[in-house]
Amino acid sequence: MKVLVGVKRVVDYNVRVQVKPDGSGVATEGVKMSVNPFDEIAIEEALRMKSAGKADEVIAVSIGPQAAQEQLRTALAMGADRAILVETDQTLEPLTVARVFKALVDQEQPGLVILGKQAIDDDAGQTPQMLAALWDRPQATFASKVEIEGESAKVTREVDLGLETIEIDLPAVISADLRLNEPRYVKLPDIMKAKKKPIGTHTLEELGVEIAPALKPVKTEAPQARQGGHKVESVSELVAELKNKGLI
Amino acid sequence: MSEKSAQEPQLFDLTLTDEQRMTRESMQRFAETEMRELSRQVDESREIPAEFFQKANELGITALAVPEAHGGAGFDRSPVSNVLIAEDLAHGDMALALGVLAPLGIVNALRDFGTEAQQAAYLPRFVEENFYPAVVALDEPRVTFSVRELQTKAVAQGDGYVLNGVKSAVPLVETAQLFLVLAELEGQGPQAFLVAKDTAGVTAKAEPFMGLAGLQLGELKLEEVKLGKDALLGEGTGFDYTRFLDLHRLGACAAGLGVAQAVLDHTSVYVNERVAFGEPISHRQAVAFMVANIAIELESMRLLVWRAASRAEHGLDFHREAHLAYINCCERLMEIGTNGVQLLGGHGFTKEYFEEMWYRNLRSVAAVNTGFQL
Repeated sequence: MKVLVGVKRVVDYNVRVQVKPDGSGVATEGVKMSVNPFDEIAIEEALRMKSAGKADEVIAVSIGPQAAQEQLRTALAMGADRAILVETDQTLEPLTVARVFKALVDQEQPGLVILGKQAIDDDAGQTPQMLAALWDRPQATFASKVEIEGESAKVTREVDLGLETIEIDLPAVISADLRLNEPRYVKLPDIMKAKKKPIGTHTLEELGVEIAPALKPVKTEAPQARQGGHKVESVSELVAELKNKGLI
Repeated sequence: MSEKSAQEPQLFDLTLTDEQRMTRESMQRFAETEMRELSRQVDESREIPAEFFQKANELGITALAVPEAHGGAGFDRSPVSNVLIAEDLAHGDMALALGVLAPLGIVNALRDFGTEAQQAAYLPRFVEENFYPAVVALDEPRVTFSVRELQTKAVAQGDGYVLNGVKSAVPLVETAQLFLVLAELEGQGPQAFLVAKDTAGVTAKAEPFMGLAGLQLGELKLEEVKLGKDALLGEGTGFDYTRFLDLHRLGACAAGLGVAQAVLDHTSVYVNERVAFGEPISHRQAVAFMVANIAIELESMRLLVWRAASRAEHGLDFHREAHLAYINCCERLMEIGTNGVQLLGGHGFTKEYFEEMWYRNLRSVAAVNTGFQL
């Protein structure tokens, strides 16, 4: 079984992002970029499937600027077999990203696509679901545990009410949640091996995907600074405080 | 790394290769999640847990430097990459970093100066599943100690050598399996000897030091230690003591940079959050300038260290550059350590924050030679 995993280049989670003065987005120049943490979890899960003999090939896919090769190299150093970069300098909406993945799915015919549940830059959290719909295959989102059993997968999902376990037929789309696994540290000798692994490139035109923006970002602004909270000793004190602030 | 060496040597190209960038990412994450947490525990217990060495060993830090012929990953010899690794690991904790890097130093020394037979005999040990503790024994316990006047003496006798002397501030002294002992060889100046822990006449004892507590520094006594001819690193050809010392000291400097960066990272947040007299203390220029100076000094030290390492990597003479970097690091790292404590005011004197430990550890660069061969 081939497993396709998504690898998005995003601002590193340790960076304190700054909103551009004109409100058109956040500043990314000279800022450290990394693999989206949820995508790292997706890669790790695919690699574990491979070492457990459940998958034969792990293909890392990134859609973004040429520099996204850096993140693909990281995925290859973690252990992915090969990578595909769909090169574009445009900011893509989730639906366009899902269409790109659909085009790649048609080419590669994977048994499973694992994507991070969301990217930490735009927090859209829509691509996996949209891909499943375009592909017309089952989806198991917010996965915290995945067991492949022949032609199906048993997936434990983190939902508001607790944990839900579902069984889906493969091929399918799974989106990785935080507790699915802890991604490995890249071993230094593997970094050398990653150099020799291939990265194929495509353009949106080659894949027949048009950019048709349906959303228009109006403004980006920094969240308002919050006052620090404090601890209360008892429930009655809490109620009194809330009343005092006119909240109840 | 290899890509770089294929290009024209760029003496001052600060662009990281893809491999260096990925290595940094991996090291930084390891340091943040596995080392910083352990930092205080190691400082107090004066011991590094074996599981930590095992985890670090799995990253392949030592194996990467071992040539493929001896089972390693065969990375090109890159002092610059080693500077980056040392800085990133020491950002997590300096004692842990120097412990993990000590064997890398021995591997590099074997690559630089060892005979083919010595490489074949020793290098495979460093790619085993288990961490192989191997360290340098350089310092000697006297006030007037000079690296140029070693009182540990080696004398040629029969088909080998006999060593006598006392070494101090030897890292991992009680757990190391192999020591690279620097000694004055009659008529040949300072030389390096490979001495196994279980050789007759070798005794090791850890002693308390002000900083780097987890590194288990201590004394190594050599009494009538009889060694074979093949214990002499390079067997009389090729050992370059100046190069050895320069790279060893630069290794300590690189680790110090990581700690200084940790001081900067923490204090710059602290002074913006700590409120006194109704405003963050960073609004006081005496505070703000001190933080700014740490940033300036740190960057200048870093550039000196990188430059020296880069020249070493390109096979150019780097003695002068290494010495400038070392002297600057000795002075400035201590200053940054003390200013880190100062910026925290009364908090700096408590063990609630890392600054007091960083202060103690940063003094080590000038006080003892506990670096590693870059």
